[in-house]
Amino acid sequence: MKRIVTLGLLYSRSGSYARISEACLTGAENAIARLNADPKRSIAFESVSRDPGGNVDLYGPLCEEILAETPARHIIGCVTSWSRKEVIPTLEKYGGTLWYAVPYEGFEASDHVVYLHSCPNQHLLPLLNWTFPTYGRRGFLTGSNYIWGWEMNRLARETILAAGGDVLGERYLPIGAVDVDRMIDEIRATAPDFILNSLIGPSSYAFLKAYAALGKSDARFRPDNCPVLSCNLTECELGEIADFAEGLIATGPYFRQEPRAFGSSHEAAADCAVQALADLLEDRTAEQSLNIGDLLQSPAGLNSGIDAKTHHTDQPVLIARVQDGAFRVVFDGGVLPGDPYLTRPIPVGAHHQLRIVS
Amino acid sequence: MRRNVRTVDLGGAHAIVLHRPHPVVTALTRQLQAVGLKVNACWPELQADALAADFVFFDADMGFDEQFPWTQGEAPMPLIALIGSEAPGRVEWALSTGANAQILKPIGDSGVYSALLIASHAFEARQALAANVADLRRRLGERQTVVQAVVRLMESSGSEQTAYAALRAEAMDARISLEEAATRVLARINSPTQGLPKGGAA
Repeated sequence: MKRIVTLGLLYSRSGSYARISEACLTGAENAIARLNADPKRSIAFESVSRDPGGNVDLYGPLCEEILAETPARHIIGCVTSWSRKEVIPTLEKYGGTLWYAVPYEGFEASDHVVYLHSCPNQHLLPLLNWTFPTYGRRGFLTGSNYIWGWEMNRLARETILAAGGDVLGERYLPIGAVDVDRMIDEIRATAPDFILNSLIGPSSYAFLKAYAALGKSDARFRPDNCPVLSCNLTECELGEIADFAEGLIATGPYFRQEPRAFGSSHEAAADCAVQALADLLEDRTAEQSLNIGDLLQSPAGLNSGIDAKTHHTDQPVLIARVQDGAFRVVFDGGVLPGDPYLTRPIPVGAHHQLRIVS
Repeated sequence: MRRNVRTVDLGGAHAIVLHRPHPVVTALTRQLQAVGLKVNACWPELQADALAADFVFFDADMGFDEQFPWTQGEAPMPLIALIGSEAPGRVEWALSTGANAQILKPIGDSGVYSALLIASHAFEARQALAANVADLRRRLGERQTVVQAVVRLMESSGSEQTAYAALRAEAMDARISLEEAATRVLARINSPTQGLPKGGAA
């Protein structure tokens, strides 16, 4: 007889970033089904789901609903950093834990969050360092108008300037906005070496579509001359942008390969969340109420690959280019530990592991 | 002055927490270690190695002047006050230590990273300001030297304008302050062994 553990799911199935939510939910639900069917497991998950519908003000109350009205102490959820920051006070109040399965901008190490995707030392910095010698150091920065775009672009600016490059422009759009003409005009006027795209959802799709059209009329803006770089686009959104994403360069810990393990890195990270949580709870009884800080001090916790100090995880650094409608890995930067505050020394030998894949 | 706040080098920096054993210390230590600092807690005395620490967090509720091995308000590193009681007397005492930032107790999940950045920034700004003030005071004290040098140079050059211009030219040529140039001029005029330009000292 398996012990039942209630697991919260807090994802928006509608709104600007629903595709990412769906990818995370797929990963979590598949992992739950697999673990529940595994006779060697002593626990089974039963999920409770809440859907904020893309409204950032509903994350706090719905997180509270899960923690106050159900036995769940662990929640897999949130896509935007804005929503994650909204639920942290509630997690703190109830001793809950959020398992966060998407890339973010760093500078956070909550005692109530486990970070299962990449942070800037694992995505943005390797991407820029790969880009500089290949395309140049003159960048144009775009982003959605909230903490992800702001902090990514601040860090990119700092890195570009430190490398002797230039930032030719920095433009933001409100989440969901699609009026990209001004950005495109400025890019045409400044002719950068690359564009860092930290827009999300429909804004990003509209921008990529308009930029592809610009490339067709002016060769300076073809992807081989001035590529668009992204730290947040994965296969789960490729369907939306298939017609104009050719040549797009993205970084992430996982890209879909055959045989297909996961649809995208979001799916993989959500899977990893369920798996890691099951391993933590497996050899303890009724301990789902223990907070994550205590769980990580257990023998299973010390083996979990989750850093007890920062709650971040090791992530592969892969850079891929969209070619014939699919991501093809062009660079493998090895595996790096998460360094959310960029205060830790770069691991010895990290650079020696680097190898060009294609 | 727009300065990049993240240039503060926090990785491996040493923080001392001056607070009795308490959940506040646990929460603070967790946050500091997550950022990448080394942490020691002590109470009630700061150890000798505190002078080499990069940050000192101190309890504003139970703290007292004798805990700090430096002149009040002249800590050699950024100080961050841990404030529980907001009684004016305690806030006043926290201010008197020269604290550069504060964190309210109880300490939860966040607040330490921004306090580190703000304290570093405020500490450096205060150091720079103090150095500027000291320099200005010194130059103010040299006013008489400048007047004397101009008067002495007038003896050979005739007018105040040409004497002042000569002093400025000397300062610019040697890339030194007007006050230093004045000191040199007087030393030269007053020293019989070095020989004197034109007419010499009277």
